[in-house]
Amino acid sequence: MHRDDALPKTTFPYFFREAARRMWVSKRTSFVAVAMIAISLFIVGAFLLVAENLGRAVAQAGGKSRVNIYLTTDATQQQIASVDGWLAAHHDFAARRFISKEIALTRFRTYFANLSDVVGQLDENPFPASFECEIAPAVAQSPAFAQQAKELRAIAGIDEVQFDWEWVEKLKKLINLVNLAGIIAGGVLAIAAAFTIANVIRLTMLLYREEIDIMRLVGATERMIRGPFLIEGILQGFIGAAVAIALLFAAFLAGRNFLAPRYSLLWSFLFNGFLPWRKLLALLAGGTLAGFLGSWLSVRESGEERV
Amino acid sequence: MTPVIHFYHVTKRFDQYSTALHDVTFHIEKGEFVFLTGASGAGKSTLLKLILRQMQPSDGQVVVNGRNLKSMKRSQLPFFRREIGMVFQDFKLIERMTVFENLSFILTVLGIPPREHKKRAYGALRAVSLHHKLNAYPLQLSGGEQQRIAIARALINEPLVIVADEPTGNLDPDLTQEIVQIFAEANLRGSTVLIATHDRELIEQSGRRVITLDHGRITDEKVATPPRAPRVESIFGIGG
Repeated sequence: MHRDDALPKTTFPYFFREAARRMWVSKRTSFVAVAMIAISLFIVGAFLLVAENLGRAVAQAGGKSRVNIYLTTDATQQQIASVDGWLAAHHDFAARRFISKEIALTRFRTYFANLSDVVGQLDENPFPASFECEIAPAVAQSPAFAQQAKELRAIAGIDEVQFDWEWVEKLKKLINLVNLAGIIAGGVLAIAAAFTIANVIRLTMLLYREEIDIMRLVGATERMIRGPFLIEGILQGFIGAAVAIALLFAAFLAGRNFLAPRYSLLWSFLFNGFLPWRKLLALLAGGTLAGFLGSWLSVRESGEERV
Repeated sequence: MTPVIHFYHVTKRFDQYSTALHDVTFHIEKGEFVFLTGASGAGKSTLLKLILRQMQPSDGQVVVNGRNLKSMKRSQLPFFRREIGMVFQDFKLIERMTVFENLSFILTVLGIPPREHKKRAYGALRAVSLHHKLNAYPLQLSGGEQQRIAIARALINEPLVIVADEPTGNLDPDLTQEIVQIFAEANLRGSTVLIATHDRELIEQSGRRVITLDHGRITDEKVATPPRAPRVESIFGIGG
């Protein structure tokens, strides 16, 4: 390393000043680069947000395992008493609660308020009565419990036995799928955004070609010449990511305020909470990295003075 | 004496039909003030470009400030160029920057703290009598003023070597006198000066060493004999 190869401290403010000035001078091209990053990260962020909230729903259900025992619509009081007796006799099912047809209908009207009218038009209550049993998660996975569940299904008056952890497992698979889709879509878009930034920086470098030649002739190092371009890419990436987060937050607030109450249960799951700060930082870092890679590609390709 | 610029059998060919310099050998000692002259196309600009290593010789060696430019690493090139104050024929000022910013940029390259920029830029501009143009843009200045800004930029770091390509080409006789005086003062402070010029009158009256190029060859190398004239006396302080 040459004795003077290290950049003087005073050059870093110069890098930022120059990068900001060049972005301002080339507003339109900079806007395209920032918009590309913002769109890419908004999509990635949307996937992350959905996965995050589904994850929260799973976490809420994760501590308990529930079995729903739906009775046939024509189940007699004797059959209901028989089922209740069987549950009381089996320790694992003892923590039970009877949900009458009326309670089931009330719950539906609460969760799906917009469909309440539809139900009202029916001649009779279509919801079956059921028992809800809280099962210890460790017990729910045991072979003995599976045997008991088989016995339960055979009891007269029982239409269906549903296990909560089955849909929790399905939800977990869905979360993995959403995360994967987000990573793939985000990755592809981030690469496209990085190339957009690379092209923007390349255009800027062409615009400043004469100036770059002068800088070289008066003794500016390649680092000094390339620094502002690298910072320009980094700034574009960072601003794009910040815009994406702001847009995502605005969309989240709008969704929570306008969609969640109207469509109740499903939407309230998806708008339960915003992304945690770690994921927000990751989005910012991702945008900044895409910007850096794009500008690095450009300045690397631009080469050095040919002598 | 130590040669600061040394050309040793230097040939520069662009292609098989075009040779800018043929087997050029000369040297310039430390502290010398030398004129390089010749008609258009004689090879003056090529020779200056070789000194700044804007190009490499096809054959021969160029040594500047003790560095053999052929073997010098690319990474050392910027630091080498900082030792040379180059005044370009087309000024090479950055048009979007003010006069101050043009000078400040050089100081940034040199690692001078920003708080000193104004003072040093003002001093350099005062030397070329353009300190009142600190905030002007190059395109708002005349050709002569731009030339003087380019000179101020070249001198701002008190370089070891000053190389100027037609520095008085855009100036009237009075300004020519003033500019050459600036170079002479830099020379007195220890800088070695090489000026490429067409100005025969200036050369003849200088009393300095003159290297004449013709079709890429050195055809003459002598010390100009100045006639006794007021202009020469005022510029170089020579004569009776």
